[in-house]
Amino acid sequence: MLHTKIINSKDNKLSISKAENFIASSEYGASIFFTGTVRIQNNNQIVTGITYDSHDEMVIKSFKEIYNETEHNLNIKDKAVFIEHAKGYLNIGEISIIIAVACKHRDEAYILSRYIIEEIKKRSPIWKKEHYNNNESAWLKGNPIIHEKN
Amino acid sequence: MKIEIELFGASRDFSDKNSLKLEVNENSTIKDIKKKILDYLDKNFSGNENFKKIVNSSAFCSKNNNIISDNYKITKNEKIAIIPPIGGG
Repeated sequence: MLHTKIINSKDNKLSISKAENFIASSEYGASIFFTGTVRIQNNNQIVTGITYDSHDEMVIKSFKEIYNETEHNLNIKDKAVFIEHAKGYLNIGEISIIIAVACKHRDEAYILSRYIIEEIKKRSPIWKKEHYNNNESAWLKGNPIIHEKN
Repeated sequence: MKIEIELFGASRDFSDKNSLKLEVNENSTIKDIKKKILDYLDKNFSGNENFKKIVNSSAFCSKNNNIISDNYKITKNEKIAIIPPIGGG
């Protein structure tokens, strides 16, 4: 059971209640809700907001691949996973990502939630441009994407 | 032949449009395209070293949303995307 979506900030905001409803509709009792929010400070600079850019099709593909491989890599077969990521301009404190997972047991839920966020950081083509209180802005450096298929 | 390179992340600073349109030789590979982009940056941004670093650390993605290797041959009018170093969440 998987839900994935890119939410354009012009159209909508990420909502924990949507993730709660999705998880409530699953049959599993151990759930973890992870959110990432825009921080006011990064690398000793005052941040006023972040613009997120995304290659939407590749991002959704990567979310599905990450979900599918957890059965083999983590041996977690029974799960519900909700992943949404923001795109566009976000203010301080706004949610950029929600990963909600539900499994039969808590050990699996913690492992699954952590695995998904770490793999997204490595594999999903999403970029951040930070805006600062001196009116400057900069793309964050990031990590080269893993070349999986040549 | 003409090809189109969609810009993402830091590479969006290469143009005020969403993509670069380049004229390349037939049977050009991703390696050749990288050279073309570096030439474009030399011409339009006086060889901006930060921009060049972005190109050299980027991957490229096919229209089928697969990461493609340096030896991948581009076909006529193909639209590919440049994927600079990533960092979501």
